[in-house]
Amino acid sequence: MFKEKNIWNKLEGKTTPEMKYIVEKPPKGDRVKRFLEIFAVILKHSNYRPILEQYVKISAKCSRCSVACHIYQVTQDPKDIPCYRSELLLRIYRRYFSLEGSIYGRLFGGWEFNEEDIDVMAESFWKCTACRKCVLECPMGIDHGLITHLARYIMAEMDLVPRALLISTREQLEGKTRNTSAIPWIGMADSIEFLEEEIKEMHDVDVKFPIDVEGAEYMFITPVSDWLMEAESLMGIACAMHAGGVSWTMSSKVNDAINYGLFYSDAILKRNILVIAEEFKRLKCKKILMGECGHATRSAWFMPTYWEDGNPPEIVHCIELTHKLVKEGKIKFDTNIVSEIVTYHDPCNIARQSRIIEQPREILKSFCKNYVEMTPNRSENYCCGGGGGTVSIDEIRKYRTSVGGRRKAQQIIDTGAHYVVAPCANCKKQFRELMEDNKVDGELVGLHDLILKAIVFDK
Amino acid sequence: MDAWLEFAKGPLFRFSFAIMLLGLTRVLILSIINGFEAKGKAREKKLPMNYVLKLTFGFVFPIRSFRVKPLYSVISIIFHIGLLLTPIFLFDHALLFENSIGISWIGLTFSKYFADWLTIITIIFGVILLLLRFSNRASRSISRKQDFIWPLLLIVPFLTGYICGNSEINPDTYKAFLLIHILSGELIFLLLPFTKIAHCILMPISQWITARSWKFAPYSPEEVSIALGKEGEKI
Repeated sequence: MFKEKNIWNKLEGKTTPEMKYIVEKPPKGDRVKRFLEIFAVILKHSNYRPILEQYVKISAKCSRCSVACHIYQVTQDPKDIPCYRSELLLRIYRRYFSLEGSIYGRLFGGWEFNEEDIDVMAESFWKCTACRKCVLECPMGIDHGLITHLARYIMAEMDLVPRALLISTREQLEGKTRNTSAIPWIGMADSIEFLEEEIKEMHDVDVKFPIDVEGAEYMFITPVSDWLMEAESLMGIACAMHAGGVSWTMSSKVNDAINYGLFYSDAILKRNILVIAEEFKRLKCKKILMGECGHATRSAWFMPTYWEDGNPPEIVHCIELTHKLVKEGKIKFDTNIVSEIVTYHDPCNIARQSRIIEQPREILKSFCKNYVEMTPNRSENYCCGGGGGTVSIDEIRKYRTSVGGRRKAQQIIDTGAHYVVAPCANCKKQFRELMEDNKVDGELVGLHDLILKAIVFDK
Repeated sequence: MDAWLEFAKGPLFRFSFAIMLLGLTRVLILSIINGFEAKGKAREKKLPMNYVLKLTFGFVFPIRSFRVKPLYSVISIIFHIGLLLTPIFLFDHALLFENSIGISWIGLTFSKYFADWLTIITIIFGVILLLLRFSNRASRSISRKQDFIWPLLLIVPFLTGYICGNSEINPDTYKAFLLIHILSGELIFLLLPFTKIAHCILMPISQWITARSWKFAPYSPEEVSIALGKEGEKI
């Protein structure tokens, strides 16, 4: 099975699929003026000026970042080099907002920001999956992910944002269902009843999904996709909590941890966090438990920034809690259930700064006989290709799976694994699509999907 | 010629050296102030210091550099070592400093043999770096004019310094090379704080500044909305 297939050079000589997303209300009028206005306002009120001031001075254009980028590795297009992309924004800062640049520009002229540059940025900054792998290779400490974050924020303020993310966020914050998939609560409640019955059938144990329990220790929030699409992850988490005797609750009002604000707008990031904060206070819980989702967890790590009274609760990822319970011997496994080869994908948002990397491995190794690593792994891991919100943009699926996800597809093939464990809602959707489009054998699962299979209850 | 040399050695040297020192101090202080301003605006002050230190020291003492492009990294690191150490620990330079300001590190200077070899290596590796920048498509396509000019400018004082210290040439040619040596060095001093070479002082605080900027200002989203007249606007 090992290295049975090589898809690595498949795109050579072929045209790269188009990366064109739909914008709901494309901005009209003098976009350059509007962009500069928004840029100036954001610089005035936010904390982005220090990095821009620093980066315009030190960027040495060494191109080391190109080696790390999974997009550039496939396209070999200089426009996909992280440093090239960041320069699109840095040159605007240098020309219009830095002291040296603006004096030079007024005296000698030179480059002027124009309409076309906005179109280039609108495409380029959404090709980046904000995985921040390139950050690990930049000797100058330039965080291209942060530049992408800022550029998208500026463009979003002028309505230049993928429609897919915009309408999902609208439904989540202002719609009736209050989740990004527009699923009414009644449907989700039905689904829970069904899942409880499923667990009863599988393990002959009454595992409950507590809803709106006031005073529980953990308030659990997870992406809405877990309720229907990735139900086995949810069942696995419920089983782990049950086995560990954890006091936890889900919320009927805040049932979606997705926070697209992390990808395009600080305003949306904050609004989503405040929604969670309000519900947390209503339920009088003690800690926040995050489901299997990378970006939702990283968004939650922004709670200390936006929590109103300055005393945010502890944020615990479900893998961290399950790991603790496994170590305490509260969760037991049948080590004969999962005999296939298992590999683990580190979601960028929880692994890049080495926050959650060893815990999932220790859990998996405790009951999987054949565990193999992808190369590279842990904080060095490659993005699935659907990071930074791009996985939710269905119109760019071809680009995502053939360009963004091709490095990851080859990584999976190289492991020869049957089960690919990706504990992240974004990664899960992207993996399904890239494995289908690149004809990669294997099965995508969440970490708790395997726990659901192998867990043994004391009776 | 002699008058030119005297001018280059005296007032012009003092001026360019002062510009370099003050300029670098200025950019460093401004960056540190910016970092602390960001800290002041942020509500969450705690940084992931393990990560920040790992990356900072990983590149200041370039153990991380070999992870990608190892050949390029080795050449680049040795070039940087040559650039930094040769001018400082050259006996002749140390002597000049002792004679002018009385501070002496003559005891620490390199032997002539070692200094000569380091100079030659710096020149050769500078040229190789330039050729790599030209030949590698990724590097070439993101390079600006200054990225090509800098390596050339940096090797001029090394080349002329080596010629002055090692060739049997007539005094007039010697003086011409010495003048080029001094003037090119002074040009580097003058440009250093205003170009990408400022990374020599800014690079060690880059990860810290980045980590500070990730700690957002808590009320900036609302302030931005109000300033743009979008307060209360539907999504």
